Amino acid sequence: MNKQQIPDLSNLNLSEEQLFSHVDHSDLESEKITAPRYSYWRSVFRVFFRKRVNIVILSLFALVLAFTYIYPALFPYDPYANLMDAGAKHLLPGAAMDKFGHSIHWILGSGASGQSTFDAVWFGSRISITMAFICAAINMVIGIIVGAVWGFSKRVDIVMTEVYNIIGNVPYILFISVLVLIFSAGFWTMVFALTVTGWLTIAYFIRTQVIIIRDREYNLASRCLGTPIGRIARKNILPFMTSVIVTLAATEIPSYISYEVFLSYIGMGMSDMSLGRLIYQSENAMLTPGWQFEFWSPVVVASIITVVLYVVGQNLGDASDPRTHM
Amino acid sequence: MTKYLIKRILHGLVSVVIVVAIVMVLIYSLLDRNLIFAMDPVYKQLGNNQRTTYQYRRWKEYGYIDYVPYADWMQAMVQNGEIDEDTRSAAVSIGRTEKNDSEAAQEFIARFGEYYTSRGYQIVRLNAVMASPKKVASGGQQQLFAWKNRPLITRLVGYFTGLIKVDNIHAVPGELEGKRGLTFTLHDPACGGRFSPAIIGNGTQHKYLLYFDGRFPFIHQNLVSINLGKSYTVNTGVDVSETMSASQGSYVTSTVTYPTGLTEMSADDLHTATWVADSRTASLVNEERFTDDYTQVSTVKGGMSKIGYSFVIGIISVLLSYLLGVPLGILMSRKKDRLLDKIGTVYIVFIIAVPSLAYIFLFKAIGFRMGLPTTFDMEKNSWVMFVLPIVSLALPQIATLMKWLRRYMIDQMNADYVKFARSGGLSEPEIFSRHILKNAAIPLVHGIPASVLGSLVGAIITERVYVVPGAGNLLTKAINNYDNGVIVGVTLFYALLSVISIILGDVLMSMVDPRISFTSKSR
Repeated sequence: MNKQQIPDLSNLNLSEEQLFSHVDHSDLESEKITAPRYSYWRSVFRVFFRKRVNIVILSLFALVLAFTYIYPALFPYDPYANLMDAGAKHLLPGAAMDKFGHSIHWILGSGASGQSTFDAVWFGSRISITMAFICAAINMVIGIIVGAVWGFSKRVDIVMTEVYNIIGNVPYILFISVLVLIFSAGFWTMVFALTVTGWLTIAYFIRTQVIIIRDREYNLASRCLGTPIGRIARKNILPFMTSVIVTLAATEIPSYISYEVFLSYIGMGMSDMSLGRLIYQSENAMLTPGWQFEFWSPVVVASIITVVLYVVGQNLGDASDPRTHM
Repeated sequence: MTKYLIKRILHGLVSVVIVVAIVMVLIYSLLDRNLIFAMDPVYKQLGNNQRTTYQYRRWKEYGYIDYVPYADWMQAMVQNGEIDEDTRSAAVSIGRTEKNDSEAAQEFIARFGEYYTSRGYQIVRLNAVMASPKKVASGGQQQLFAWKNRPLITRLVGYFTGLIKVDNIHAVPGELEGKRGLTFTLHDPACGGRFSPAIIGNGTQHKYLLYFDGRFPFIHQNLVSINLGKSYTVNTGVDVSETMSASQGSYVTSTVTYPTGLTEMSADDLHTATWVADSRTASLVNEERFTDDYTQVSTVKGGMSKIGYSFVIGIISVLLSYLLGVPLGILMSRKKDRLLDKIGTVYIVFIIAVPSLAYIFLFKAIGFRMGLPTTFDMEKNSWVMFVLPIVSLALPQIATLMKWLRRYMIDQMNADYVKFARSGGLSEPEIFSRHILKNAAIPLVHGIPASVLGSLVGAIITERVYVVPGAGNLLTKAINNYDNGVIVGVTLFYALLSVISIILGDVLMSMVDPRISFTSKSR
């Protein structure tokens, strides 16, 4: 705080009329708010970048995205290019580099069919991350809309709570496996399987949040003043929910990747070469002495991706909470 | 309160029924029923008409359809006394094509067709497939049968009415040796005539309806049995409840004195004897040992049941997680933004964000380095093999507990009553343990029944990674093998547990916090 020093007025030799002038009362001026200008999103970014660690994580996030989306486009990946080369399989990074030359492709060694693990990981993560983003987008949009209606209307609440109790008790794995068996185990089947009931948990979460905020005094006042429900939802409640929604998205997106890994592991995953399928296929290597690296490298990369996504989302969620903007 | 609870329980049961109905629609109507033959070696060997009838027979066994072959219908008519044996044998064989039918057969085939079409069945007649003008091709015999899809309502009603079976003295059909009835004895013959009360039935499905023995829980009953659904592939012909609760592992033999007086070393458990028609005269082994047709006995095995293993591992990890997670959560909230809180947060982020598969394998690798056994072996009776599965289950639970407890406690820390307590001169440990914890623990209390009952269900990945013979993999195994009976049974079991645990959680919460009340009056 820079306190301005009050100048000594008696030294200026000015008359009282010159020192003070009369200000008329103005209705317009008195309505103006003299607080510093506040922009919500600017404050979010200001708070977000105030922490140095967030810059590191954000650049990691950008790096992950670049490797996921740009790298596979630049270097076409053929998993069976070295299939006939018996000496190219199950190589540690050092051996692979000696064989194929020093390039970024071989820094994680090679896999069961002589493919570059590094390329395979990013090729797989493109599928996994895309799936996670699409699933999260669908589930969040449906979940938030349904959850808002669910929280507001008592009649909808009775019906939806029953639906939630019933659907929540149908084993999730069963839903997914039945869908996978009916359709093929492709990308869009997996998206459909993860979203067909996935939005319900998000809607339930949003409903609870809406119920908490719905009956706060300021909303009561707003309703007394005749604000329509739609505007209350948009102007009074949605801003309050932004940080909750961002935090939720931060947990949702990595959870789809984890879930896909889990499903692949129990043999119900998709047929595309996703991260989960990569880990599932390299599980045998885990049991062979000397080949463990082949299993650990996709696992570690998958973990790094999910952790980065989660931390970015959490910190963004913290920053989007207006209470941290002071 | 009681009225409210009854209402909740009824509500829960209705939703359980709907859950089962949904699952039945999913697996019986939506799935391609030809999938069950994908792995079937018998199906591949059969050809022509035999393959078709085999298909229908299997579909009947898996519960998809009702299926009646012509010969079975004739046999049933004989048993009902509608026709005699001679008429049957004259009419039972059908011609290679419809034209070749004998007159007697024609009459009954028409009746068969009429009878089943009126009941909504479809009649299928397959003409013989000929390899040469004289010779029928392999499996090409002519076939006649009726079939229809089993409707959902029939299936559902049938399932729930057969769910609980009470054994009675008219359970066994036909003629019996001796009088039907129950006898009470103080000296159980299966226990070697020692003092041991038992109720023995004749005409009941089980011989021993109530008995005592040396195994936990010492008193056993066979009067009421639960049929969750029969398995076809995972554990052929055995009910789901039996699959989950029967002991596993190698046989434990002891000296057994059979009803005939024969004494030998055997793993047979005579108390489990059930009735099988004409089984005593059918085999010499049975004739040497038993004096009646109660010959089917199960065996005593050394290991625990599927549920047993899952529960032991689950319950210990739940206990561990509460013992460690609660103090750690409190500590984190007390040292907010200090080093301990930061380490805890890193751990929580690790558990939440990293795929569960990854950290379970990490724990396994660390455990292996420390010299712990990484695979489960029922034959070795050591407690060391339980360590890694328990740790792998407990560590993520600890993280979740820490996360929520820290969140709730920090939320409570700014509450007015805390400021009041502080201004009243209470010490910080007192405020935390006596005031904040009590309020912060209420939402956590709600989850205790769910985590305790949830350990009955087992954990999929942990049990798979450490090769634990637990209940966690039953559902995935059943799905992979298209074992519809097991899928329905396991789903019912899961749904019941989840309904019960939510109700228990609410009750527990209202007991811990008197402010929460479920009766509208006191509100």
